[in-house]
Amino acid sequence: MELDVHRRSFAQAMGTLCLISLLPGGGRGESLSSAQPGGAGPFLTQSEMETLRAVVARLIPGPPDDPDPGAREAGVAEAIDALLGAFSLRAPPIHAGGPFSGRAGGARDDFADFVPMDALAELGWRIRIEGSKGLAEREFAGPVVGLQAVYRDGLARLGSNAAKRFGARFSVLTGSDQDRLLSEGADDGVRSLVGAALAHALEFMYGPPEYGGNRGLVGWAYTRWAADDQPRGFTDDEVSGSGGGSLCLAEPKARALVESFLGALSPRPARTPSLWSDCGKAGKT
Amino acid sequence: MGKASVVIVGSGAGGAVAAWALAGAGHPVTILEKGRNLIPGLGTRGGIGSLFGNDEVKAGRYFENQDPQLEPRTTRSQTEAAKGKARSFTGDFNSLAVTVGGGTVHWDAKTPRFWRQDFKGLTLHGPMPGANVADWPLTYEDLATYYYEVEARLGVQGDVSRMPAATLAQAPRRHPFAMAPNPPMHAGSLLAEGARTLGYRPYPFPMAVNSRTFEGRPRCNSCGFCSGYGCPINARGGAAVSFLHPALLAGARLIPRAFAHRVETSADGRRATGVAWRDTEGVSHKESADIVILAASSIETARLLLLSAAGAHPDGLGNRSGQVGRNLMFHYFSLGVGVFDEDVHGWRGPSSTFTLDDFVGPDIGDAAKSAGLPYLKGGICEVGGAFLLLEEAQAYAALPGNWGKPHKELMRTGLLRSHVAGLSMVGEDMPQLANRVDLDPAIKDVYGFPVPRITHSSHRFEQAASAAIAPKLAAICRAAPGAIAAFGLGYPSELAGVGPASTAHIMGTARMGEDPGASVVDARGRMHELENVYIADGSVFASSGGFNPTLTIMALSLRMARLLGR
Repeated sequence: MELDVHRRSFAQAMGTLCLISLLPGGGRGESLSSAQPGGAGPFLTQSEMETLRAVVARLIPGPPDDPDPGAREAGVAEAIDALLGAFSLRAPPIHAGGPFSGRAGGARDDFADFVPMDALAELGWRIRIEGSKGLAEREFAGPVVGLQAVYRDGLARLGSNAAKRFGARFSVLTGSDQDRLLSEGADDGVRSLVGAALAHALEFMYGPPEYGGNRGLVGWAYTRWAADDQPRGFTDDEVSGSGGGSLCLAEPKARALVESFLGALSPRPARTPSLWSDCGKAGKT
Repeated sequence: MGKASVVIVGSGAGGAVAAWALAGAGHPVTILEKGRNLIPGLGTRGGIGSLFGNDEVKAGRYFENQDPQLEPRTTRSQTEAAKGKARSFTGDFNSLAVTVGGGTVHWDAKTPRFWRQDFKGLTLHGPMPGANVADWPLTYEDLATYYYEVEARLGVQGDVSRMPAATLAQAPRRHPFAMAPNPPMHAGSLLAEGARTLGYRPYPFPMAVNSRTFEGRPRCNSCGFCSGYGCPINARGGAAVSFLHPALLAGARLIPRAFAHRVETSADGRRATGVAWRDTEGVSHKESADIVILAASSIETARLLLLSAAGAHPDGLGNRSGQVGRNLMFHYFSLGVGVFDEDVHGWRGPSSTFTLDDFVGPDIGDAAKSAGLPYLKGGICEVGGAFLLLEEAQAYAALPGNWGKPHKELMRTGLLRSHVAGLSMVGEDMPQLANRVDLDPAIKDVYGFPVPRITHSSHRFEQAASAAIAPKLAAICRAAPGAIAAFGLGYPSELAGVGPASTAHIMGTARMGEDPGASVVDARGRMHELENVYIADGSVFASSGGFNPTLTIMALSLRMARLLGR
């Protein structure tokens, strides 16, 4: 396909060489997750990263706001940066390999070998990440604003809103002030940023660590998620038997959340939820 | 003189089966596939591997799926079309996997047969106001032997002795299944018990999943990544592993990343001479052939026919009737959700292991009467399923502003992952002339061709059936042992997972029929207006039935190929 060869060479010369030299393993996913917090990544500047880390920490909070690790601890911002700078890496970390992660058997981590993209797949992702940039070969269906611009512009908006409203950098504001700024739906730049960052935060918190997030498998630990199970799989008993446990929640606030979520699912529940009636009897895991 | 050469557009369910049958019969076969080949070892003696894994992120990143950044689709409702609105949406709409093997690389692999009544809807149940009901020009009996042959090749599991007599009366079977059912999923067993309590008849869902080693592919280990995910261990049958692989070994030629954009025809328009296609560099090629088979899926096959307009076919290839692109059908999804105190791990297993077909209909009762319709029909159900982790996270985040502490607290409960069992129904769609595919007047794809534009609105038939049946789905969930709450989600719910657009079942657009003025292909799948062009995908369906369509696509394709070889 008609790729922007000049820009690609430039990116490879600058971005890839610098980054790859820092990362053992040459762009493999496991290396992404070992990028140092605080260091400039493939795309965003240090100051943009500082804001982004604060943003994702509000989207998926960790200590002290929540007892379990959140997006900051999982390395979500670093993973987002790796996606934004994917084409400055030798193997863009977009589609992890397969079939096995090596965490449930299998000799090695196949996920870490990102699947090479052919020219067409790469064009699609360059448009998505970099935008159409006025290039005819990218604007067959009209102009596209890329993720790089969504993040760069949104983080800048957040920074200027923080300065205007609170006279400080976003990252040093209190959590509730940060939430207020993130919830400003009237600001298109902020709204687009929050939409993209939330989608990515979920992917990188709860997806395989090879993409750069979910460091130390923190996203799977607190959710007791054990589905990275190939090639072992599940036994017949594990499939057909009860998983035990109980939905009983320690906090009344959490109960209220479940009830309100179920309420939002259906305005007319077939039976009034009496979710907690068996709490005393059922054993907790 | 050698056998007729064949070019097939599309390597999915329809195309792969035709390639297998025709290559096996000694025809030179070339398959043009728009997508990449993501199956290592396909068509080699060394055997097949997998690049898929238990990875929710990759599945959401257009790895095997059509990338809407490269090939968007546009949509509008019938009302918008009537007002002259060109489109109201541009992006990702009902795209099937664009890769070697098509949608079956990540299909749910559920393989119910259509019923006898599905082929004779007009005769048996009469017309439906505002719909374009028609009989198929063939019967269940015409397809039965091909159903069996496809099932045997895929390796379909099931248990005839546990199927309801009513099901077997509508879809008679002369042979047992190739293998026994998978271990029953716990969540499904609970809902199945609830269903039995209420007098329904759940049974093990026939599916192309290995419960034992089959053809060198291993037994399913219930890993939980099934519908929507490529199989990491190739325990699931499908177009690529079951048909394309042996077809390639028999000498068929596969050209991946070949975008077919035009069926070339003779000057008099009576014969196709081959298919024009573009490679990823934009270079044009032509594959000449004696026979052309189109199997690009309903939306893309209709688009290709419309793109192939020529002097003798001014409105699109074989479209003198004006029927090409019309009668586009999906399936209307309705859901029941049961909530359980215990961990029912409804994600663990091959999506679901039970089905029930008690809602297929037709129902001429009060719900039909109050909708002012002669009858209603629902469809087959998947009994017991739940979300994976990222799917769960995304579902919670779909509520506006639901991030931060509340979201994390919901994730900690694992509600949608561990404590619900879902019951989803595939509701039959009525064919309507106004539901159609045409060429978008302005938006182009990466190859520079007009994208398909989908005009679609649900018929009152689907809406009334969904509204009537959803509470019954909820009642089943409520009757399940241990259920502490239950919901029914049907029309008019706007939630994801409900409605026509949430299905990958796409049918119609090149209807099969006897009347060339009201259909596009004949009973053998050959286009009425061309001597040597056949259609072998869901386009040819005259009705959508209340059943997953892939097995029927494969059986029709096999029948077409066998009759063609004669």
